[in-house]
Amino acid sequence: MSDARALLCDTARAVFAEAETVGIAPIEEAGFGLLLVAEEQGGFGGDWGDVNAVLQIAGMAVPDLPVAELIAGETLQPAATVSLMAGAMDRALTLSIDHVNTRQQFGRPLGKFQAVQQSLAVMACEVRAVGAVAAALAARLDTAKLDAAAAGFEIAAAKLRANRAVGVVTSIAHQVHGAIGFTAEYELHRLTVPLMRWRGAHGNDDHWAQILGRQVAALGGRGLWDTMTARDA
Amino acid sequence: MQGFALYPFDPPGDIASLRADLRAWLAVNQPQSDVVARANCWASFDPDFSCALGAAGYVGMTLPARYGGGDRHPLERYVVIEELLAAGAPVGAHWIADRQTAPLILRYGSEEQRERYLPGIARGELYACIGLSEPGAGSDLAAVRTMARETADGWRINGQKIWTTGAHFSHIMLALVRTEEGSERNVGLSQLLIDLDTPGITIRPIIDMAGHHDFNEVFFDDALVPHGALVGEHGQGWKQVTAELGLERSGPERYLSSHALLVALIDTAGPDPAPAIATLIGELTAEMWTLRQLSMSTAAKLAAGEDPMVEASVVKELGNAFEQDMPRRVQAIVTSGWDDEDDLARLLRALLIASPSFSLRGGTREVIRGIIARGLGLR
Ligand SMILES: Cc1cc2nc3c(=O)[nH]c(=O)nc-3n(C[C@H](O)[C@H](O)[C@H](O)COP(=O)(O)OP(=O)(O)OC[C@H]3O[C@@H](n4cnc5c(N)ncnc54)[C@H](O)[C@@H]3O)c2cc1C
Repeated sequence: MSDARALLCDTARAVFAEAETVGIAPIEEAGFGLLLVAEEQGGFGGDWGDVNAVLQIAGMAVPDLPVAELIAGETLQPAATVSLMAGAMDRALTLSIDHVNTRQQFGRPLGKFQAVQQSLAVMACEVRAVGAVAAALAARLDTAKLDAAAAGFEIAAAKLRANRAVGVVTSIAHQVHGAIGFTAEYELHRLTVPLMRWRGAHGNDDHWAQILGRQVAALGGRGLWDTMTARDA
Repeated sequence: MQGFALYPFDPPGDIASLRADLRAWLAVNQPQSDVVARANCWASFDPDFSCALGAAGYVGMTLPARYGGGDRHPLERYVVIEELLAAGAPVGAHWIADRQTAPLILRYGSEEQRERYLPGIARGELYACIGLSEPGAGSDLAAVRTMARETADGWRINGQKIWTTGAHFSHIMLALVRTEEGSERNVGLSQLLIDLDTPGITIRPIIDMAGHHDFNEVFFDDALVPHGALVGEHGQGWKQVTAELGLERSGPERYLSSHALLVALIDTAGPDPAPAIATLIGELTAEMWTLRQLSMSTAAKLAAGEDPMVEASVVKELGNAFEQDMPRRVQAIVTSGWDDEDDLARLLRALLIASPSFSLRGGTREVIRGIIARGLGLR
């Protein structure tokens, strides 16, 4: 990560932490709405790599605030949602790992049981997959100068893959937490409920599968491979 | 998640023309093999093709020129192998030697071993197999019992390996053996590079459930190999093998071995598929696209000299699931008889039968998840 982006992320973490208690105002005041606006026009001049990083932090820290709407326009909302999802999933995994390392049953931490380890490995694979498509999408949007139509393949693939990860990630996260994860007091639902909502937002699985499937059908079998390799950033 | 940073896949050189050159070469040189042979192409044995590929500079690409290699960047090699797999080229003969054995010899081997073996591997003429598994040591690899005793004349080997893919056509085996009598678990193990024509070695075929002869039992009965057969340091076998497995687990073969089926599905469905088929094509594409990103990022990390055990395991776990799922999901949706003879039906049948092996070879699902769990700090 570049120094500038690392700095941006540090700022986002601090501002979002404040916003967690008082709402969107600090995020607006800090100028996150100008992230994608060019420097000549008084903005921050960021790229989608920056947006991806910031929205992942938003997905962890303030999943209920409309940060994506603040930063990106309508056509980029599906892409923005992927970043939010990647962040929230990452945080749900961290919470789950922390929990099983502390909670003791049968005289040892839950994380020492092989069945629990295997579940979390499955969850980690999904989280890692969503992180990867979010990064690939960011790279593509940046070469395509934020033209959503030009990144149509990556947007469809990323949103569909992220949608499909939601079921696995939310169910394993809740399973390993036991009842405490089902309480209003504990943090987990602040991530899992938005994840459930985002799966249906800006196109559910079927919507994106149809779009991608028809695109690929038109390319033909060999055409799919040629297109994928030609799209490498 | 720390340690899971994505590495940008940023190969040097002109990748577009590397791809174009290879595609043009394949158009002329790839044997017109059957669609089913093309599907599981990294098990398809064709020495003539391997030699031609070697002569064209597409084997041993990352080896130094002084050993007959191409001095190319590992990510250039990555691009070449994904093109070969996507085309269904029969790369099985030299596959293990090129992927695993050559880098291991280069990294840990003696100068003599490098000079002796690497040029033949780079020419696509010298084939290798992996001697890890034994009847009592599968998932529990540290239970290896095959013993090599150091004598005045060299190492005397006694014991048995099993499931050794390609032993029947390979020239050498890189074997994990116990070199310290009475040692236990992962200490006292070393790697030996064994010429398979050494007296005292017997190779017996094991026929798999698809009716193929890919793997074998290999027996060592007082087989004597020279002192110089030791690879790397005495007693460091475990560490070396772990490095080797990272190379084995993250390549594009972890999601491209069933690619021919996706191609056939798309071509059979035509440009205006029924909604349910379009959905399936979309879902499979999204999964493959994701796997490719993960695999490329892991390759980049390997190329940067790091040891991405966990990332490689994520690729293998998700890749195996994808490849096992694909034929089942295709079968669930297309109308096709088990004995039909069109391409799609034959591919489907072959891959349904082959697919149980995907999550066994190279480490089982449970073992791979255990490695990921360790990476998460749970073990
Ligand atoms: C097609 C194919 C090619 C192969 N090629 C080679 C080769 O070239 N060279 C080579 O050395 N080997 C090769 N193998 C062997 C392969 O590496 C082993 O099959 C694998 O490591 C599993 O060992 P096993 O078959 O003895 O199963 P076992 O170890 O007996 O395992 C059986 C089942 O029990 C599970 N299990 C075992 N231990 C545990 C545990 N502690 N916790 C939870 N679950 C557990 C396993 O995950 C598996 O599901 C090949 C295998 C196949 C199928």
